[in-house]
Amino acid sequence: MQVLFDNLQVLFQGLALGSIYSLVALGFVLIIRATNVVNFAQGDFAMLGAYSMVLFFTGLGWPYWVSFVGALAAMAVFGVIFNYGVYYPLRHRSFLPVVISTLGASIFLQNTVLAVFGPQPRPLEKVLAADGVNIGGVFLDSQYLVILAVTLALVLFTYLFFEHTLLGKKLQATSQDKDMARLLGIPVALMISITFIYSAVLGGIAGVLVGPILFVSIGMGSIIALKAFAATIIGGFGDVTGAIVGGLLLGVIESMAAYHISVPYKDAYAFLALFIFLLFRPSGIFGEKVSEKA
Amino acid sequence: MRLRQAFVTAVCGVAGVVAVFGAPARAEDTIKIGLVNEATGPNAEAGVFTVNGAKLALDEINAAGGVLGRKLELKLEDNQSTNPGTVLAFSKLLGEPGIVAIIGPIRSTQIQAASPTIAKAGIPTMIGGTDPSLTKVNNRWVFRGRPNDSYSSRVIADFGINELKSRKWAIIHSTDAFGAGGMNVLTAALKNAGITPVLVQGYTNNSQDFTPVVLAVKKSGADIIGSYMTNSPDVGIFAKQLRQLGVNAQWIGSPSLVSVTAMNLAGPALHGIYSVADFTPDASAESKAYTKRYRDTYKIDPDVYSSWAYDAMKVLALAISNAKATTPDAIRKGIVGIKGYKGVEGEYAFDDNGDGLRGYNVVKNDAGKVAFIKHINFKE
Repeated sequence: MQVLFDNLQVLFQGLALGSIYSLVALGFVLIIRATNVVNFAQGDFAMLGAYSMVLFFTGLGWPYWVSFVGALAAMAVFGVIFNYGVYYPLRHRSFLPVVISTLGASIFLQNTVLAVFGPQPRPLEKVLAADGVNIGGVFLDSQYLVILAVTLALVLFTYLFFEHTLLGKKLQATSQDKDMARLLGIPVALMISITFIYSAVLGGIAGVLVGPILFVSIGMGSIIALKAFAATIIGGFGDVTGAIVGGLLLGVIESMAAYHISVPYKDAYAFLALFIFLLFRPSGIFGEKVSEKA
Repeated sequence: MRLRQAFVTAVCGVAGVVAVFGAPARAEDTIKIGLVNEATGPNAEAGVFTVNGAKLALDEINAAGGVLGRKLELKLEDNQSTNPGTVLAFSKLLGEPGIVAIIGPIRSTQIQAASPTIAKAGIPTMIGGTDPSLTKVNNRWVFRGRPNDSYSSRVIADFGINELKSRKWAIIHSTDAFGAGGMNVLTAALKNAGITPVLVQGYTNNSQDFTPVVLAVKKSGADIIGSYMTNSPDVGIFAKQLRQLGVNAQWIGSPSLVSVTAMNLAGPALHGIYSVADFTPDASAESKAYTKRYRDTYKIDPDVYSSWAYDAMKVLALAISNAKATTPDAIRKGIVGIKGYKGVEGEYAFDDNGDGLRGYNVVKNDAGKVAFIKHINFKE
């Protein structure tokens, strides 16, 4: 019986961490779809969101929810700045210069935050006051429950937004064929800006939610982003559902393997899974073959 | 990238050797001491304390007239909290003319990486890493400004068995040089007392989730945890999950358990635990005075990352002043000649291996305050 509880405990932690990977992976995928580039600063969006929260909540003493909304608003503004500072000037260039540009942005952001906030990692309040609940020997951390709930809500929202609103469809059209979208009168530059805003806000939410658990530090984004990137490949490069499933799967795989096989190789399992997918199913779980893409 | 780094390292290394041996320091110059420091990267929070400690010592020495009538000067070099970064930082410092000694990093794994560079250059280097093997690898140029882990493990085992009356041990350790070295010596120390740990569990630094580790501790039925954990944020995450999942075992471990950062991050989850610490504000008259000066200067409490660098700087100054010269051989002679110098970490008596301290304090996290319990010193 204890074995079952322990497995459930590990599964729960895996799903919760996996949710964070999913949120960041979702941000990755949205930008990949809209611009065809991988944004290597995606993890730093999470880091920035968490530090905004630290600034508003701990630093300025705003109420929790005001700080939360403030942090997300700051991320939305940052999304626009990021678009026009990092992507837009290079939009007509090939894949590589843009990727290098995001990589540079990542280094710049980490060191700017280091200079402003200093190197000490910061603790952050949980969303709920309760530490968690104990159900039959399985401890459910309240923050992890919040993370799971918020991820579910965001996934649902993203689906409804893209499939059932005009704006969502315009965004989809932009990601599928920019020239065609332009001919149809869709303001492509604005659509890409919106994608960056949404992606930055998603990253920000992930950062604020995971801050109380991993603590807020300069490097927090890089650790998450690496796993999230692996998740996008496992799920299917550029596929929204794939990003979600890939993130969750990766979280569960590494937790379960750490528990059942060996803890020190925890990170290795995530990337072993990546290797296996690259070898046997390079298009990922939900990925289409490249030739099928419009 | 690797190849390029290796090439740069090699070139800088050669240049460094030439510079150190080729250019005799002029008398009117300052005496330059290098500091390889974690200014960026995951351990940058410790790096700030290290620089603060070294600078405090430097300012005091210079205010008192310097050494051999010359002022001391500190040259900082960032190692990015990584092993390759450490090797590069050493190479850069060795490339600067006039640096007579270096204060190296506090991480055993980084010193392990830089050890060949140090040996080749033949530059006296103070180190803070506590892996016992570091001073026993045929490198006569490293000198340890802290007690090594063969002592910390003996103190951990001694206190856990005799004072906390615990015999079912779980050892939790990081898998880097420090953690693995600590695990080995703690296992040996327990074996001397006839105890085989019920669990020996490693983890990699910067783990996001310790649930599997906590469950393993739970399953083992251990009544005490002995830990060698490298990074403070890891301590914070582990402590929180440990208490959440209802493990109430005693806990005594290496100094990161009472680092300012770990205590700040973990809060009540670390209350009631014990730690060995080479630096404790209340341990001696020297440490009390140091704590006051540090707090006055930097408006924050000092921890081990600052105190060891402070002592290292003082030890180097004393060695140079005793040897009346700044050549590597003279400094080496000066350091191993130090017997009975009272630093803030304890009384220094260097042996031929370069080990200066042989004792640890046992401290307790008493509701968020570090309380000094006792000092345990060994003759050898």
